[in-house]
Amino acid sequence: MCAMRHMYEYGTTSDQLAWIKVSASYHAQYNTHALLQEVVSVKDVLDSPVIADPLHRLDCCVITDGGGALIVVNPDVANSLKRPKVKILGAASAVKHQMGGRVDLTYSAAALSGPRAFAEAGLKPADVKYVSIYDSFTITVLIELEDLGFCEKGRGGVLVSDGNLMSGVGTLPCNTDGGSLCNNHPANRGGITRTIEAVRQLRGEANPAVQVKNCDVALVQAIGGSLGTRHGSATLILEREG
Amino acid sequence: MSTSLRGAQPIPETEAFWNCAKEGVLVIGTCPSCHKNHYYPRAVCPFCSNNAELKVASGRGQIYSFSVMRRVPVPYIIAYVALEEGVTMMTNITDCPIDAVAIGKKVEVVFKPIENGQVVPMFRLSA
Repeated sequence: MCAMRHMYEYGTTSDQLAWIKVSASYHAQYNTHALLQEVVSVKDVLDSPVIADPLHRLDCCVITDGGGALIVVNPDVANSLKRPKVKILGAASAVKHQMGGRVDLTYSAAALSGPRAFAEAGLKPADVKYVSIYDSFTITVLIELEDLGFCEKGRGGVLVSDGNLMSGVGTLPCNTDGGSLCNNHPANRGGITRTIEAVRQLRGEANPAVQVKNCDVALVQAIGGSLGTRHGSATLILEREG
Repeated sequence: MSTSLRGAQPIPETEAFWNCAKEGVLVIGTCPSCHKNHYYPRAVCPFCSNNAELKVASGRGQIYSFSVMRRVPVPYIIAYVALEEGVTMMTNITDCPIDAVAIGKKVEVVFKPIENGQVVPMFRLSA
């Protein structure tokens, strides 16, 4: 229903949504752990069966087992480590409900958590070299990117099209592990694997085929719950140190 | 429309809503203190936290958004309907061909019995 409303208000198309899956599959071909490693085209997405209008099967994430962990330490410990370090510059969370029936499906709680995280980091969207964006469905990515300020509200369709989310091709490399659309979606832990890929990018330890050049600032965005009813959102802005 | 739909289990807070539906009456929540309507109905106003009341709704509105659930034996239409009273409710659109449904179309409430004896407010396209 979020996608349907976005199309109605802003003219977003199924082709534009499909580009988000196409970009994820482009990255996933280099990830030998990804559940889906086959590169798909816009036509492949549109030709897959409709699950819930207007979303096709290939607009939907995979379902997998899995998990992840992060180690966060104080600066003294960090300085004693021999690995590249990543610093948390900004972090924020927010929730969005149905607001007593004032339903507006065009935005997510990322519109609240995003600006707070950027303010804490003292940065703006143009400073970000890589983004990990939670991708339960293609529309989830599009709405979150708009809410974070990577483009004007309603212009997400243009932002994600024509390979703009592909590392080495576009201006906003996104989910270089293949994201939840191709790599993994371990139940309600979709956010942790997105964070791990962002850390890899900042350390320069991503797959060389998808490593973003000079990747010094990355953003991780995830929502949990349901995009169309109520959910929580978390935004994290990370920087490579040294 | 599938008759195998499972309804929500009424709890004390929502029992009056479901009883009204059985009588063919759609109710929403309203607040005697801040005078704002809300949906779903509940005991406490979500805007000012004072005791809320029920209010009979017109049953008229328009489709805010919808989707067709196609991975079931009988596809059905889920929708958000924006009521004339200024609140939007999640519901189903029924009694029409799928292709006839569009955002912005006017709809009116219709009450559908489901398998557990409950009656669920849904909407059909207005004539």
